[in-house]
Amino acid sequence: MAGKSITKVTRKKAAGRGSSRLSANGARASAAKWVGQPIRRKEENRLVSGKGIFVDDEKMPGMLHIRFVRSSYAHAKIARIDVSKAGKFPGVVCTLTGAEIKKQVQPFIEIGPGGAQKIADYPMAVDKVVFQGEPVAAVVAETRFAAEDAAELVEADYEPLPPVVTAEDALKDESLLHPAMGTNRNWHGVFEYGDVEKAFQQAAHVVHIGRLHFHRFSSTPLECNVILANWDPRSGDIEYHCNNTFPSFASQFLAPALGVRIDQIHMKSFDIGGGFGIKITSYPYMAACALASRKAGGRAVKWVETRIEHMQASAHGNERTFLDTRVALDKNGVILAIDSKHVDDCGAFPRYEPLGCVIWAQVLPATYRVKNIRIAMRQVVTNKCPVGPNRGYSRMQHLWFMERVMDICGQALGIPADEMRVRNYIRKNEMPYKTPNGCVYDSGDYASMLAMAKKLVGWDEWKKKQAAARKEGRWIGLGIGSTLDSGTNNFGQARIINPDAPFSGQSKVGIVKLDIYGEVVVSMGSVPQGQGHETAAAQVVADALNITPDLVNVRPGFDTAHNAYTGHTGTYASQFAVTGLSAIHGAAIKLRKELSRLAAWKLQAKEKDLEFGVGAQGPEVRVKGRQKAINYWALANLVNVNNAGMPESLWDITLNCRHVFHANFQIPDVKRKYGNLTLTYAAQIHAAVVEVDRETFQPKILAYACVDDCGKAVNPRIVEGQVHGAAAHGIGAALLENCGYDSDGNLLAATFSDYTPITAVNIPELLYGHMESPSPFTLNGAKGMGEGGAAPVHTICAALQDALYSSGVIIDDSHNTGDSLFHTMQKAESGAYKGMVRVEHRRAAR
Amino acid sequence: MYAAPFSYHRATSVQEAVKLLQELGEEARVIAGGQSLIPLMKMRMARPTALVDINPISSLREIETSKGELRFGALVRHADLEHSAAGATVPIIHDCAAGIADVQVRDQGTIGGSLAEADPSGDWGTALLALETSVVCFGPDGQRTVPLEEFIQDAFTTALAHDEIVTAVHVKVPPKGSAGAHLAFKRSAPVYPTASASAQLTLEDHNRCKEVRIVLGCVGLTAIRAKEAEAALRGKLLDEKNIRAAVEAARAAADPQSDMRGSADYKRMLAGALVKRAIGIAARRARGESVEAGHEYVGR
Ligand SMILES: Cc1cc2nc3c(=O)[nH]c(=O)nc-3n(C[C@H](O)[C@H](O)[C@H](O)COP(=O)(O)OP(=O)(O)OC[C@H]3O[C@@H](n4cnc5c(N)ncnc54)[C@H](O)[C@@H]3O)c2cc1C
Repeated sequence: MAGKSITKVTRKKAAGRGSSRLSANGARASAAKWVGQPIRRKEENRLVSGKGIFVDDEKMPGMLHIRFVRSSYAHAKIARIDVSKAGKFPGVVCTLTGAEIKKQVQPFIEIGPGGAQKIADYPMAVDKVVFQGEPVAAVVAETRFAAEDAAELVEADYEPLPPVVTAEDALKDESLLHPAMGTNRNWHGVFEYGDVEKAFQQAAHVVHIGRLHFHRFSSTPLECNVILANWDPRSGDIEYHCNNTFPSFASQFLAPALGVRIDQIHMKSFDIGGGFGIKITSYPYMAACALASRKAGGRAVKWVETRIEHMQASAHGNERTFLDTRVALDKNGVILAIDSKHVDDCGAFPRYEPLGCVIWAQVLPATYRVKNIRIAMRQVVTNKCPVGPNRGYSRMQHLWFMERVMDICGQALGIPADEMRVRNYIRKNEMPYKTPNGCVYDSGDYASMLAMAKKLVGWDEWKKKQAAARKEGRWIGLGIGSTLDSGTNNFGQARIINPDAPFSGQSKVGIVKLDIYGEVVVSMGSVPQGQGHETAAAQVVADALNITPDLVNVRPGFDTAHNAYTGHTGTYASQFAVTGLSAIHGAAIKLRKELSRLAAWKLQAKEKDLEFGVGAQGPEVRVKGRQKAINYWALANLVNVNNAGMPESLWDITLNCRHVFHANFQIPDVKRKYGNLTLTYAAQIHAAVVEVDRETFQPKILAYACVDDCGKAVNPRIVEGQVHGAAAHGIGAALLENCGYDSDGNLLAATFSDYTPITAVNIPELLYGHMESPSPFTLNGAKGMGEGGAAPVHTICAALQDALYSSGVIIDDSHNTGDSLFHTMQKAESGAYKGMVRVEHRRAAR
Repeated sequence: MYAAPFSYHRATSVQEAVKLLQELGEEARVIAGGQSLIPLMKMRMARPTALVDINPISSLREIETSKGELRFGALVRHADLEHSAAGATVPIIHDCAAGIADVQVRDQGTIGGSLAEADPSGDWGTALLALETSVVCFGPDGQRTVPLEEFIQDAFTTALAHDEIVTAVHVKVPPKGSAGAHLAFKRSAPVYPTASASAQLTLEDHNRCKEVRIVLGCVGLTAIRAKEAEAALRGKLLDEKNIRAAVEAARAAADPQSDMRGSADYKRMLAGALVKRAIGIAARRARGESVEAGHEYVGR
């Protein structure tokens, strides 16, 4: 971003308990030398100089290429599929159809209970299609060209069915996507805490808010889905090279569907060009590729998704509609209770859903003290692309709703946006804070973050400028967006969705070893997509062994053959800084202990007299204050090459140390929907000044500030990069990106020309501020922070609301463009927003 | 995202290009910058059986000034024009060239290709209509020069025969006291505009409009000369009332369609807003002021 400067403000808080804290296995972490340093990323050079290894770089002998034939209809019966001409095309090895596949596989497991269990989700459509772009057949050929040419010869006839495009349509249950389920409503639950009715009786003001809508958008990673599958006829095992970002989840779906044991699925990933969660649900394509490989006689099959396929039929983020909202407030504008009905739209198949129906509850009260809450959460299926856990997954929709509630109530009662927040924020001295549904916010100081954001953006000066500009008829608004990034989830929350869900807690593994010639090697088992895991892992290990990060060889990517994975392994849900790094730290401490025992024997010293460091001959263990040392090469040699004479008491030493991270999670109380759903809560508070052009109605960001607090930042440079990325993603969502569908269920944004993903030139100068409130629950006090909570969506809506409120506008949608605001203003002129917000002032009962 | 099969041929002279087109038949197409053709081929919305690459014809990349005329070879890139002396003397050319898409597209896309493509949202077709422009075509019968008004006949349709190529674009240098502006509104940098507008004004006595052209882009099957809007200003003072009348007339001349770039009524409104701004900027430039103008999008 040439010419755009990044301004920074940093405030460090004294760590709650001194700088060294207890590690997972009880050993004290040595003083942090590298953790906390903004060192450059180890992986950067490789990735920016074209030396990354992506799936499409991989080739296997005899490899074939698959091309899917997709439905142009959103909802239709498949009358006929004829692949005979395609099958005869030169270079084609075989074809596949849904009907054929049905005989070979079980439908994928469904997470939802009851009727949702009757949804039959196959790798390809069988007798009806339920979204535009759904695969109905596939062609497997010697080259991509032949596959694509032959795919055009597949003939398909459809009998259109009435499409279900909006959540409101779905609720009518007039046209059903999955007739066996008997309804389009796949999940429902009421989340009720405190005494909501009593709070409404005691309220000084009750604000009623009409329909609010959080739109559908996605992440557009640079690299689309890519799968290379090989179903080996000799072993019956399936080998995958792919960029799925939650492979241990995918294999749990794949194995029962394909009828293999889970350990027969070997998965590998290398470098991944972005994921943001939406590659988690690529398993239907993984299954189709495996079936194609089997049919082709055990030849490897590669699929490289095109951008149009990605836009139409990979995954989008969840869309949510908020209905019948009532808010009880006291005379000072403090929110006493919220009552609302939320309808989440998960598209044609639930897949990762309905987990989103509970995940939002990790941030039930958002950043606020509100105690009495009733939210009836419902999820429906519609004839649109299935959703996947898109960055900010399920929490951002709810946080956006809560921020809209704050702004609308503030404006209705004449309380400024900043004041409204300060009055309602959870206080610093209330941390750790237990939410009404039993979650524990570990640390944070939202009011100070807001003060920093206001200062950065120049809030007070802009207020004056705004007043002057209003007189000239300009529409300038100031907005605040408070958001949370809850990280390290407790999978036990799935029981709130389905009491039979067979998983809980959270686990991650790290392996740290001294290899045969003394090199320090880390296997992470995480699936980095650009988050800098190699660097952060090296920093943690460097501190544990008192060496430098460049001496730590971190093996990127996931590989089931390396044993560095658990059932929760993947990169998702803002957690690596906690789960992955704690596991790696635990393993490094185990290795340190082994090295220390070996060195004590060899150097004839006591362990307590040893120290770790880097000497003339590389990393070593030495006797404090003496000239005696042994380097890592020699230590590794003692075990692996030259081990005669080693006392039997040391034979347990392998120098290959594995550690599994555990969080102190319990299974939630399913009936009350109560329990600790996540371990850490990073926060971001943004402030923006936005002007709506009076002639083009185009919103323009005049100033933008982001303040983040993710506890101790393991690498502040990576943290800042993540904040920038999340800010860009959110600004894109707020102003540019929308997976809109027409009333027939045609996706209107299947290319980048239509979807207009944000690029560097669209991003305003970002003013950046950083605070550290260390988490009391984690190693080093770090918190996960990669998702970022879509703060700009909240912030920009808030600023637009402020700019246009006096013109009678209520910003009721998360996506706003010049075009939509032009219509918004017309709606306001016709008085359409008059009934949308209604305020009842009561004589205060107290 | 792979094109249907095609053969590829290089031409090293305009004569050779024409000969190849004749030999290869109706389904053969010229390729210049490839910025319109290749995306369409990848989506298989265009399926030429043969491509004749004219990039080796280096004479088509020249910019000359001769007899009060700017002469651009068909292969002159948008980026060449963005940084050219022509752009500095005729600001509307700079506005247009610098605003198209992003750096990558501007480095490849050509002025000849843009006019030959005749995309109703293309910027050159709009901006150059505000000037006196003619298109030089070369075919089996030699060379002919076609005024731009006649060259672009309909959306994606030109006066070119199948075996003819554009070799140059000639633009008459506007007289002293004349200046223009080309403005466009788009959602993000690398997409076609939602609406665009060009105005070229010749002033006399500081604020009286002697001659004017107003053109609307993206709001019809071709760029639209808003002649009623021009009439509202021609020979008149550039005051608020007359400008308002011109804007109203421009809005009425627009005939937009709803699509992902914007709804029809929004585009119509935008066309008016852009015309108003273009007139304002053109007038200031005609008075000798240096004013920035160009494409507007989120973040700019
Ligand atoms: C992402 C993106 C965004 C864009 N945004 C804009 C925009 O905002 N505004 C805008 O104006 N344009 C835009 N364009 C289009 C760009 O300006 C193209 O360069 C232009 O439309 C075509 O020029 P070309 O040289 O690339 O032609 P090509 O793609 O090579 O050819 C286009 C057509 O013209 C024919 N042709 C080309 N040259 C000749 C010739 N000399 N004689 C006869 N026929 C010829 C070809 O046969 C073909 O049919 C965009 C393109 C892209 C990819």
